[in-house]
Amino acid sequence: MSADAREWILSRLRSAPGRGQGLPQRPPLPPLSAFGSERALLVDTFRQKLEGVKGEFHQVEDRRALCAKLEELFKANGVRRAVAAADSVLAPLDLARWAAGIGVELRTPADFTDPAAFKEALFREADAGLTGANFLMASTGTLVLAHDRGQARLISLAPILHIAVAPADRVVADYEPVVAALYESSGSIPSQTTFITGPSSTADIQATPFTGMHGPRRLVVIVAARL
Amino acid sequence: MKKVSLFIPCIVDLLLPEIGEATVRLLSRLGVRPVYHADQTCCGQFSFNAGFRREAARMAVHFLEVFGDDEVVVCPSGSCVNMVRNRYLELLEDEPRWLDRARKLAPRVYELTEFLVGVLKVEDVGAAFSGKVAYHESCSLLNGLGVSEQPKKLLRAVRGAELVPMRDADVCCGFGGEFSSRYPEISEALVAAKAARFLESGADVLVLCEPGCLTNISGYLSRHHPDRKALHMAEFLARNLAS
Amino acid sequence: MDIKTDRFRETVRKELVNPETQKFLGFFPLVLSAMRSATLAGLPDSEAALASAAAIRAEAVERLPELLEEFERNATAAGARVVWARDSEEANRYICDLAREKKVACVTKGKSMVTEEMGLREELEKAGIEVWETDLGEFITQLLDLPPFHIIGPAINVPVETIRDIFHEKAGLEEPTNDPVQLGYAARKFLREKFYRAEMGVTGVNIAVASTGTVINVENEGNIRHCKSGPRIQVSVLSLEKVVPTMRDAFHMLRVLCMCATGQSLGTYASFDTGPRKAGELDGPEELHIVLLDNGRSAAYRNPKTRDALKCIRCAACLSVCPVYGKIGGYPYGWAYSGPMGQVVNPLLLGLDRTEDLYGACTLCQRCKAACPAGIDHPRMILYYRSRQAEGDSELKGKGAPWSGKALHRFYSAAVRNPALWKAMAKGLRWAANRYEKDGKISKAPGPAEGWFRSRDLPRFPDRTFHDRWKEIEKTLERGEKP
Repeated sequence: MSADAREWILSRLRSAPGRGQGLPQRPPLPPLSAFGSERALLVDTFRQKLEGVKGEFHQVEDRRALCAKLEELFKANGVRRAVAAADSVLAPLDLARWAAGIGVELRTPADFTDPAAFKEALFREADAGLTGANFLMASTGTLVLAHDRGQARLISLAPILHIAVAPADRVVADYEPVVAALYESSGSIPSQTTFITGPSSTADIQATPFTGMHGPRRLVVIVAARL
Repeated sequence: MKKVSLFIPCIVDLLLPEIGEATVRLLSRLGVRPVYHADQTCCGQFSFNAGFRREAARMAVHFLEVFGDDEVVVCPSGSCVNMVRNRYLELLEDEPRWLDRARKLAPRVYELTEFLVGVLKVEDVGAAFSGKVAYHESCSLLNGLGVSEQPKKLLRAVRGAELVPMRDADVCCGFGGEFSSRYPEISEALVAAKAARFLESGADVLVLCEPGCLTNISGYLSRHHPDRKALHMAEFLARNLAS
Repeated sequence: MDIKTDRFRETVRKELVNPETQKFLGFFPLVLSAMRSATLAGLPDSEAALASAAAIRAEAVERLPELLEEFERNATAAGARVVWARDSEEANRYICDLAREKKVACVTKGKSMVTEEMGLREELEKAGIEVWETDLGEFITQLLDLPPFHIIGPAINVPVETIRDIFHEKAGLEEPTNDPVQLGYAARKFLREKFYRAEMGVTGVNIAVASTGTVINVENEGNIRHCKSGPRIQVSVLSLEKVVPTMRDAFHMLRVLCMCATGQSLGTYASFDTGPRKAGELDGPEELHIVLLDNGRSAAYRNPKTRDALKCIRCAACLSVCPVYGKIGGYPYGWAYSGPMGQVVNPLLLGLDRTEDLYGACTLCQRCKAACPAGIDHPRMILYYRSRQAEGDSELKGKGAPWSGKALHRFYSAAVRNPALWKAMAKGLRWAANRYEKDGKISKAPGPAEGWFRSRDLPRFPDRTFHDRWKEIEKTLERGEKP
């Protein structure tokens, strides 16, 4: 059935009259943002944009300061159980041990063998999800997460609090380097890439805006000078 | 000075001839003596908008026969000029000879304020009016022809007149030709809103460049606010010419 | 979704006096429009950005069959199953059969106009499957069985009391409340259980990328991400015009879509799927089925005069500037698509005859064309539909104008081309109209213009036309007098 439909549709499109008149002239694609690549400026622009969409921004020096900030956030949000991605930012930090030390159960994808148990933990148990980020896009205040086993999708979606950590050198101006790295390089394309710009939001009831519709109510981004 | 040929819309000919007279008076005061081809009637917009293209094409051909050789054609209506300059090219696409004539004529056809400001290079026509004036931006003129600054320049140059801002000046008044009769409730909602904005603006008179919009807005004012007036640009300027 | 395009006039009458509708129309479109303008003004070169978008859409439509094949190749290579459907029936059948085969008991759906067009939810429910709309606005319209009020806010006009009551009845709301935020949280709690349980997630597609086989969704709530993370099966319905050539094209269109729809530089969540989950991944669908839907689009494509309708990216910028939509809201358009883009799309998918009021009720103000980032000339297409309906067109299902309409315009055309007949017509019109004159104006007259007089007067027709007066005017000019 699908094969017949395919042939039917494609032949109708291919034989449509008035095609082949030449492609429209493409105007040169202008940049959608206009600032340079100076690191401090990019980070500050990212901060402004993130805060503009009700995200929260913190800046720390190093791993030690990061852990102090995380502890503060966990306490303020009553976090007892969390799930952290095992991505290129967080995996080397060995946060599970640190978390246990402050009485927080921190699990990672390695602790789960089956998707059902993982789903249960993310939907029913985790008070927070922790991730790194592949890129931070300054022009829009956006986190880029390329999902794989380590960067499971639900970690940044199901819990009410999402904390994202990234070193400052992952901040870029806009989408071009992100597209180049994830979709135009020789590596394999992620099964899913998510671009996150602020916490979950809606204004569908009487145009009254609020956060935390289906995704996290709070999004916190911590940029570290070095990790 | 090129000969200026008058293109008088059907609605002006039949219902509002004083707009035509005012146009002539204004042009004449500025040193232009227009000619008027008596065979002219209508650009065909009415039938084209209703979907009757065969009939509209015949009217377009008639129009081209009447005006085709003129160097400059001036019309006190943006929608008629939009029809001739833009819609004729689609309407006549199957008749290459007439399409060619339409293409050649198009750049020579001007809406009145376009002509005054852009060709005659006049902004001050010698009019005086002490009071506040608001301006309604007719859709065909604004969005079809891109004419917006010219009428405002003319109004600002009227000695003693104050051009006041009017909210939603560029929102449709709800005329749309047949739309106003075929969908009267929607049309009424739009013209009522336009009238309310006019009243809110504090202007003494509402000026506009489109006979269709004028009929619509004046018709509503006559029924609901009979002491408030809307005027065509040509009439507003011609009436207030200093002697 | 039920087709109610032929109830336009009666629905208009209701909506013009509906206080909730009028309250929202009084600010919602204006706010969206202002946000769009503000965000575009913040770009270094907004005109170039919009021109690029229009060029991308023009190329996408011009190269459509090649791009669809390229998309299919790449999506399949990434592990997706690409299925083609000629019409809604074929698409619905595939999805229902799939759900039955995979023993799906519960489906969660993201906001998708194309699935409304298909009536997919109703078909799945007929097959005994539980289906939940998960976008908050669509969840509300599902529970209340209402059509969408606006593409961006489908239930934005619904009073809180109505939502409170229906949530209490059907969505597990325990503590009655009129607070929109608390109502929202109640919906979150209720739908979270569905996200957890659902075996299948159904989404539309905002943009499909030919060069990588990627499908893209953008949203603010996170419900679409849920539909693509929890369930084992993901079905993404791709209406076949949504494809673009490259990932850069796609990102540009994504930015333009967000800016033109809500004034956001980017929606809260944009998720790009290239195939199902990979081996070892803990979430995401095991199977990704992409259903390519025609349902009248190849027919629109085959006519060079209607092909441009396929450029639409469903940003709804046109709704927010349309003076007619601004008075009547979404309901009168009677189907999945409303506003100017509904006036352009519904007639092609449903036929000209049953949508006559949609393209009839337009003042041709051209604001839609000016606001459209995809370069669609709505007024030109609306005029085309009117001409095909007047003439009769079997392809487009236009039945032809009634004899009276044809006769009127033939007569008018004759009068226009014959000055003597014109003069006679002028006399007749004057006589016919001025019979109803009182105090220099006409306040009531039966006949085709009867609607005019409900709220307006006309001046009496003058005794002499401009034609009649010209001789005198010319004499005055010759004498050098002021006319």
